[in-house]
Amino acid sequence: MIDELHEELASLYVLGLLEGDELASFQAELAHDSALQALVRDLTESTARLAYSVPGSPSPALKARLLDQIDTAARWRAERKIVPFSVPAWLPWAAAACLAISCAWLGQLYLASRSENALLRDQQTLAEFELSSARNQLKAERLIAQHEVSSATGQLAAVDQNLKRAQQDADDANLQLASAQKLIAARDLQLAQNSERVAELEAKAAHDTDLANFKISTLASLLGNSPQALAVAVWNPARQEGVLRVEKLPALAADKDYQLWLVDPQYPIPVDGGVFTVDPATGEARVTFKADKPIKSLAKFAVSLERKGGVPKAQGPMVLLSQ
Amino acid sequence: MSTVALCWSADFAVSQARCVTPARMKTADNLDPSAANLERARADAELLRRIARDDREAFSQLYDRFSRPLYATALRILNNPSEAEDIVQDVFLALWEKAASFEVTRGSAFAWAVTLTRNRAIDRIRMRTRRAELLSQTTAEDAGTQPSDAGPDSATRLLFKEQAGTVRAAVAALPPEQQRAVELAFFSGLTQQEIAAQLREPLGTVKARIRRGLLKLREILGGRHD
Repeated sequence: MIDELHEELASLYVLGLLEGDELASFQAELAHDSALQALVRDLTESTARLAYSVPGSPSPALKARLLDQIDTAARWRAERKIVPFSVPAWLPWAAAACLAISCAWLGQLYLASRSENALLRDQQTLAEFELSSARNQLKAERLIAQHEVSSATGQLAAVDQNLKRAQQDADDANLQLASAQKLIAARDLQLAQNSERVAELEAKAAHDTDLANFKISTLASLLGNSPQALAVAVWNPARQEGVLRVEKLPALAADKDYQLWLVDPQYPIPVDGGVFTVDPATGEARVTFKADKPIKSLAKFAVSLERKGGVPKAQGPMVLLSQ
Repeated sequence: MSTVALCWSADFAVSQARCVTPARMKTADNLDPSAANLERARADAELLRRIARDDREAFSQLYDRFSRPLYATALRILNNPSEAEDIVQDVFLALWEKAASFEVTRGSAFAWAVTLTRNRAIDRIRMRTRRAELLSQTTAEDAGTQPSDAGPDSATRLLFKEQAGTVRAAVAALPPEQQRAVELAFFSGLTQQEIAAQLREPLGTVKARIRRGLLKLREILGGRHD
């Protein structure tokens, strides 16, 4: 049973309408399908009869031309025919001899060919073996090359990664260097400022410690009971402080203190320099003092005996006075 | 259609390969189309076998039987009487040269001759690139010369008329759309796609029409020859 698809393909095939792959595929099927072959034959026959469906007759001259042509062709064929000749009696024997010689020669040729063929087969086997060996070697070399390429690629990737890492480190180092340079510049600036400050301070210290600027006075006792009392006062006008050292001052009563006074002409009354006590046994004391007010020009030092804790204005008897 | 088969009794076709007499035509009045086709094919094959042996008379008879349909086919395709005669001449020379290679198992001599004619005509029309011009023309007119008294004998002419009548009736029995598709496919030399474009129908529809048309023709004309 032929399906519609194959009926259609057979119809198109009969009309010469199949092309390309479709034609090749159908021809392949047709070669092995007797039913399809029968259908194609039937369709070819019935389709060929369409030639009867259209009108037309050739001219009578055509037949005459054709008959002339085939007559010419027939004569030409006849002229080419070989004229028979009588066969001599010895000819079969000669032919047999020739045949025998030919057979012998062909046999020898056959044996030689077999030998040569075997040799060629051996050579072919050897060539195939060499080819196989060469292929294997090529395959091995290809594998090695692939491995090397893969390894080199890996190394290249690692080197590239290291390079990137080093580049990153270099970038970081550059950043740190820039930061350090900024820090150094800041430190240098600060150092310069500090140096300036040190210089200023050194200058100031030199000025402050210059003994030429110090006011040094000895104070003499004004008391009859302690004529041997002695005191030395040193005043640093730059630092507005001074040191008083006394000896052999009488011991104080419990409710009394000695009070130092600094005489500056700019003030109407002496400036308070602080209270102090002395060692009851030796009458010595060493006192560092500061003025209660800024002193511009120190004229004299004085020490009075006052009530415990001191007073803002000298009230008690004057004990010592600078000379 | 039975009258077509009148002249093709088996004895006559095989042994004589000549056209029949009216008396013998009457005796074969009841021959069915397939049997008639078979007898005709055998007669044609016998003529070809004789031609292979350089039988001039057989060639003359084959010419009388085939020349009109072959010429009509070439004319319909080429629409040029001179070129159609050239094609027919080439085909008959080919039959003369290749008669020995004809195999009856592969089909009838007539189908072989028609196929040769059609292929050569289509090759020529494609070579000339006159397809568009020819397609624009409708039915080919009968431009050929009418057979003279010196042509085929009256029995052969009668056979031709009967064959032509039978086939034309078969074609006319097809639905118009199948008829048009089959005619274009057989006589135009167009491809499937070009036929579909010409008919302005989908390709699948055109293929189905061709299939149904050819199957119908086979049914009417009795395709099997062996």
